[in-house]
Amino acid sequence: MADNNSINTFEKEAEEMTVMRVITSKDKFERTAGGFVNLTFEGVKYERVKIVRLFPFTDENKYISVRENTDKAREIGIIEDMDSFDDETREIISEQLRLNYFTPVIKKIMSIKDEYGYAYFHVMTDKGECNFAINMASNAVTKLSDSRLIIMDLDENRFEIRDVNALTQKERRKLDLFL
Amino acid sequence: MKENKLTKNILKTLSEYKINEKDILSVCPADLSFDGEYILGYVFLTDKYIGVCKSDIPTGYVHFFRGTKVHKKIEAEDLADYEVKLFDLQKLEHIHTERMIGAVLLTGEYDGSSVKIASLTNTYLEQINLFVRHTKNIKNGKPFDYEIVGKEAEEEDEESLYCPICGTMYPDPAKKVCPKCTNKRTIFARVLRYFFKYKFLIAILFLSYAMGAAISVAWPYLSGKVLFSYVLEKDNEFLARFGLSGKYLLALLVLALVMIGCRLIAELTNMVQMTLMAKVATSTVKDIKTDVFGAMSKLSLNFFTSKQTGGLMTRVLSDSNRVTEFFIDGIPSIFIQGMTIIVTFVVMYRLNWQMALIACILLPLLVFMTVKLRPGLWNLSGKRHRAEKAVSSKANDNLTGARVVKAFGQEDAETERFINPNNNLKEAEINIVKLRNRFTILYSLVQEVSSIWIWIIGVFFVLKTDKIDLGVLLTFVGYVAQLNGPMNFFSRVFRMWSESINAAQRLFEIIDSIPEITEKEDPVRLTKPRGEIELQNVTFGYTVSRNVLKNINLKVKEGEVLGIVGRSGAGKSTLVNLISRLYDVKEGTIKIDGIDVKDLSLADLRKNVAMVSQDTYIFMGSVAKNIAYGNENASGDEIIRAAKLAGAHDFISKMPDGYDTIIGASGKDLSGGERQRISIARAILANPKILILDEATASVDTETEKAIQNSLRMLVKGRTTLSIAHRLSTLRDADRLIVIDNGRIVEEGTHAELDRNEEGIFHKLNELQNKSLAESSF
Repeated sequence: MADNNSINTFEKEAEEMTVMRVITSKDKFERTAGGFVNLTFEGVKYERVKIVRLFPFTDENKYISVRENTDKAREIGIIEDMDSFDDETREIISEQLRLNYFTPVIKKIMSIKDEYGYAYFHVMTDKGECNFAINMASNAVTKLSDSRLIIMDLDENRFEIRDVNALTQKERRKLDLFL
Repeated sequence: MKENKLTKNILKTLSEYKINEKDILSVCPADLSFDGEYILGYVFLTDKYIGVCKSDIPTGYVHFFRGTKVHKKIEAEDLADYEVKLFDLQKLEHIHTERMIGAVLLTGEYDGSSVKIASLTNTYLEQINLFVRHTKNIKNGKPFDYEIVGKEAEEEDEESLYCPICGTMYPDPAKKVCPKCTNKRTIFARVLRYFFKYKFLIAILFLSYAMGAAISVAWPYLSGKVLFSYVLEKDNEFLARFGLSGKYLLALLVLALVMIGCRLIAELTNMVQMTLMAKVATSTVKDIKTDVFGAMSKLSLNFFTSKQTGGLMTRVLSDSNRVTEFFIDGIPSIFIQGMTIIVTFVVMYRLNWQMALIACILLPLLVFMTVKLRPGLWNLSGKRHRAEKAVSSKANDNLTGARVVKAFGQEDAETERFINPNNNLKEAEINIVKLRNRFTILYSLVQEVSSIWIWIIGVFFVLKTDKIDLGVLLTFVGYVAQLNGPMNFFSRVFRMWSESINAAQRLFEIIDSIPEITEKEDPVRLTKPRGEIELQNVTFGYTVSRNVLKNINLKVKEGEVLGIVGRSGAGKSTLVNLISRLYDVKEGTIKIDGIDVKDLSLADLRKNVAMVSQDTYIFMGSVAKNIAYGNENASGDEIIRAAKLAGAHDFISKMPDGYDTIIGASGKDLSGGERQRISIARAILANPKILILDEATASVDTETEKAIQNSLRMLVKGRTTLSIAHRLSTLRDADRLIVIDNGRIVEEGTHAELDRNEEGIFHKLNELQNKSLAESSF
């Protein structure tokens, strides 16, 4: 009954897609020499897994999906809360996330100039002083909430303003165009 | 950072590893560390190694991203010391890039285990992809391929990527427009060109403006000085000039007639102005709209997916209206009103220079305040546009999603959500009005104060000195009052200018956008198409980092029916989109009858490749017009035959107005299956040599599908057909089938051949579908 088997594997795949697995502190994350992370989950070892935030803006430490390193990137499981892990594991995971979600946070706005379809930003971020340009015609500025902005430059490098209200009145006025 | 060269310091360090500058084949900056910090760094390729150089950021270093960098000869990174790490190319396998949210990772397998080689910001994404391609070539023992070049490397010298005036990098290397140096004056000149078409009308317009101005200058003189000082004072010397000396009553009558005449002419010119303005303005708006719409339709599909339709609609509709306001109403008025002011002052000066001086004492203040308030207007105009865009996007979103909104009972919530952008728009409008009022108040204040001023000082002069008489004083007061109009105008003109140029800028952005798909100069015509398709090593992705199709090789013979099977998201639709050149391939070539599609004339290509896709679109208009879309000259006979073949004739003839029934946005609503059949009829009528059916029968019932299948069987005769289907039974008649999975062709053969391979995807899919069919028939 080869036919039935192949159908069964197919149905199993379909079933697997709908199952929700939770990764807990019992499962083990470890660093690899090449700078990646391996995960042992329910006794199975997965090499260099991919770590993805499911709510990168609203809750960056909750609901983190860990996926296989294959073309299909099948989900191994979900971490419901990073805080349920010990410091070491949290650091291992955070290391990967830091590069994955590299987004300088804008602390100070020196100037914003609107010129013929582009806006030139000169800002101070937590990663250093940056000059970047955005295209005014595309949706380069995403408003996550009334006070939180994600700004994407011409190459889709991201910059973030966490809280517009924390900026000075003068800086806010420069940003006025986008609020 | 220098884009494609290593610094002297690195080269010096490398000489310790016996690597010379000429060994270095390719370089890409790598400006991030693995723990997410900016660094200075490069990866480079030699025929033996991939090397990574890293250095910490010097304090006070400023990062420049695309479009902001100013061209400099020596930069901080030239002086830094770099740490070098080499990877032996022999031991490195599977080198590739992985795109993450804010970074790109270059990774591979070194000595059998995964390793991170370097990471970088998205700025160098394209460059690192080229780097990887070079690396793969070298690794496979091929010589360095100079043909592989990116957008930037194409420029022979780096200088041409920077604006020659200010030295700043162009934000878009393909366009070579420096936003900083494209000042508002260039935009102005471009808009002006639209009006040149109506030279004659505009000349008349100017003339009538000038006439109006002349009358308004003469008026106070007539009603003041002439009436009081000459006629009422019985100045014979003056009257004698007109042969009226002594005839005072007659003189008064003549003056009255002249004054009435003046008023009449003034009203007449006013009327002429209004008519002409309406004519020129609407014509220009029409021209601009046509241009923007034309430019927009030529743009590639990408453009429409990356912008909100709401935003685009604002541009076509309200921006083009706004542009003309300043040019029609503003420019002639600036000229005329400016002249009025100057002439008024000159006349005043000639009458009595002391009083003239007093009248214009407040003017410098006015100029100063105007210069100060003006930039605010520019920003407010931009802001209002964004608010407007948000409102129309929201409305558009809501209207297109009306079904879902109602189904989930979210009408109130949506209205609630609409309030916010709507409120913003209100605020933006209020802010503009506020600022505009400030201008108006300022200007009328100056005018009023000057007027009172003149009264007080004038009365003083009349009473205490003999310098002026009552007539002159009244003339003066008249002139100052006359300034009311021009002042009022100048208080508005700055707002008009800001809004106009702001809107024009947005329109030109669209008109200037370069379509990604362009026809070659002198394209090859396809006069007698055979319908042979060949794909060679085709790789394509909608984004730079993710390839949807990978290295596809496929040959479809003339008249062959090829079925394409695969899971959703496998890349089937993408494959057919490439054949009709809705997108261009990233690597490889697509040939039709042995000619690269990039060399073919687009009109010929589209005429010979017709697509019936899963998203059908019905345009506003009659059924017949919709079937004859792209084929206007079709006769009724042909239309009916096409409809019959598509199985659409029956339901069309049942509609009350038959083939003339108006359907689409405002007309009668069609069911999904009916729409599908109309689009099939459309393809049949186009009579293409290559027919693409992308889930063409997905939304019709089984019975209709059978009918369409039958007609398709006739239709495919003599044509090359590519048919995509989820329901495998649809493809039973295909000559050959291919299975696409994850962007690659994984299986190929006839229906029977594929079904025999029990491990294959096709077999599994087939079994699964048969089974569910069997189950559902219980």
